[in-house]
Amino acid sequence: MKNIYQPFEATVEEVIVETPAIKTFVLRPKENFEFRTGQFIELTVPGIGEAPFTPSSDPAVKDMFELTVMKAGRVTALAHNLLKGASVGVRGPYGKGYPLEKFFAKDVLVIGGGVGLAPLRSLLFTLFGEIDRYHKVILRYGCRTPQDMVYKDALRGWAKKDKVDVLTTVDVGDKNYKGHVGVVTTILDKLPLDIKKAVAVVCGPPIMMKFTTLKLLDLGFGPSDIYLSMEKNMSCGLGKCGHCRIGSYYACKDGPVFDYGVLKDIPEVWD
Amino acid sequence: MAKIYYAEANRFNEFVNELKKDFRVFAPFKKDKPASEEEDYSLAPLTGEYSGLFNPYRVVEPLKSFFTATREEVARYFNPASVTDDSAPSVILGVKNCAISALKVQDFVFLEGIEVDPLYRLRRENTILISSDCTAFKKVCFCLAVDVLPYPTQGFDLSLSPLTDGYLVESGSRKGDELIEKYRRYFNSARETQIEGRQSKREKFIEGYKRQLLIQNIPPKDSLQRLMRQGYNLDTWQQFMLTCVECGGCNLICDTCHCFLLADNKAGRQNKRLKLWDSCQYEGFSRVAGGANPLKTRTKRLRNRFMKKFDFFIDNLGMPACCGCGRCIEVCPGKIDLREVLKDLAAKLAPKA
Repeated sequence: MKNIYQPFEATVEEVIVETPAIKTFVLRPKENFEFRTGQFIELTVPGIGEAPFTPSSDPAVKDMFELTVMKAGRVTALAHNLLKGASVGVRGPYGKGYPLEKFFAKDVLVIGGGVGLAPLRSLLFTLFGEIDRYHKVILRYGCRTPQDMVYKDALRGWAKKDKVDVLTTVDVGDKNYKGHVGVVTTILDKLPLDIKKAVAVVCGPPIMMKFTTLKLLDLGFGPSDIYLSMEKNMSCGLGKCGHCRIGSYYACKDGPVFDYGVLKDIPEVWD
Repeated sequence: MAKIYYAEANRFNEFVNELKKDFRVFAPFKKDKPASEEEDYSLAPLTGEYSGLFNPYRVVEPLKSFFTATREEVARYFNPASVTDDSAPSVILGVKNCAISALKVQDFVFLEGIEVDPLYRLRRENTILISSDCTAFKKVCFCLAVDVLPYPTQGFDLSLSPLTDGYLVESGSRKGDELIEKYRRYFNSARETQIEGRQSKREKFIEGYKRQLLIQNIPPKDSLQRLMRQGYNLDTWQQFMLTCVECGGCNLICDTCHCFLLADNKAGRQNKRLKLWDSCQYEGFSRVAGGANPLKTRTKRLRNRFMKKFDFFIDNLGMPACCGCGRCIEVCPGKIDLREVLKDLAAKLAPKA
């Protein structure tokens, strides 16, 4: 019988330094591996432990996938020591991913905070790959300082695409920075979209998700048109270990992407 | 039609001794030093002759400990070893209906959903449960309050009801049928009067037990989910948290609590993954990388235990994850009594007269 706790092996093909605290690992799985955008995996640093990540790459690419990892805890700190050629373990993919069919023919507002742009990059690749299905893609991205901005080159490239509108901001600028300054909710006014025919997809730190959601509700988005990536302690990925409960759901198997309509009456949703 | 047999007590004991040839048999024994003035019973592998000791109520340890381990290796990578289980086919005697009811929760977690836990399934399939009616209750018992009967009606392989000189033995599964068939010489078909005798014994026991429970005034099962939802912001949680020392005993001894932790280590060149019982009363239970912790306070963690049992599981399984065994009450060094928490919520939410 299949051992649900056994990871399969993947090799680190490349390590891309995004920011001082964030690296992207390009992984080549040794087994067939496919995922839908928004699904997550459990990454094993051998002998150390596991942590959940949503791939940041295009699901259409089958032989490799990428994880963008911020140094934040025990496993991620050790993951940052991994070099090209290292072996890691992977379990998954788990969870439901983005319900793309609900985005068809709509304006898709994608809002990222910090390293939260990682899962959204995978979503953006998917949206761009079938852009005719959507009316427009609007990306709003915020991070702490210009140094903390991930995927800088990609962001510039996306801004030049048809049907794509990109705006970025930083909480605190520096002397060379000429862009917008302010938290991400300050670039959500005057959105070039029709709120009645739009969905919003949000991923970032908990505090950013909370205030972005409140802002979107203020702007007139319906709760069920706001999609949130819930950050929880997802350990088994299978709805068994009990760590990632949100109300009567588990983030791992019922999410990690939830529409806010499902979550809004759960009292601990922002805890 | 229920398949009910009768075995004289000494014949039943011989039957159990026969089982030792094919199975590892676990049987109840009386503990030398009970935790309170009540007698306590525990399960141990039967090595010598079976004494026929009948435990009138549940044993100390939760049944889940036969199917999941407090700490066990669940994977080795990247040198895949198949999942193996060293436990031989087992028979467990002395199982009560609270444990059988709780097993529905463990089965739901480990056998259903998107994947099956292979070790759990192997052990479940390898184990024969011989349950029995309760003939006494502990001070902490409150199974009836959560609509769990003090005798099993399903979920067992064989179930015993003590009569004067022996047992009525009901088969509740194919495994049970096969055992009876193989050892048919120890069993007679039950007479109608014996089956009626069982019924009246059960009713009489429930009557006395109910009297004991009624004075405790535990909120009815149907009200529990409402208490959780409406009582979410009450001060009950904070009040009862004060004596919690975060030992996790309530979770670990609970027959329905199933949460576990995966932890990796390295032995030489071998990477191992361990699965360990976890407790939502521990501070790090829901902490994520970077330090955010949805269950940061003891108040939130105590409430989490109740929300999981009486809200989450009612939504997901249609039953509360509480079988009324009272183990969490006995084990708690802070004397936090689950019944008192529920009563406090009910009292605070009751319409004012």
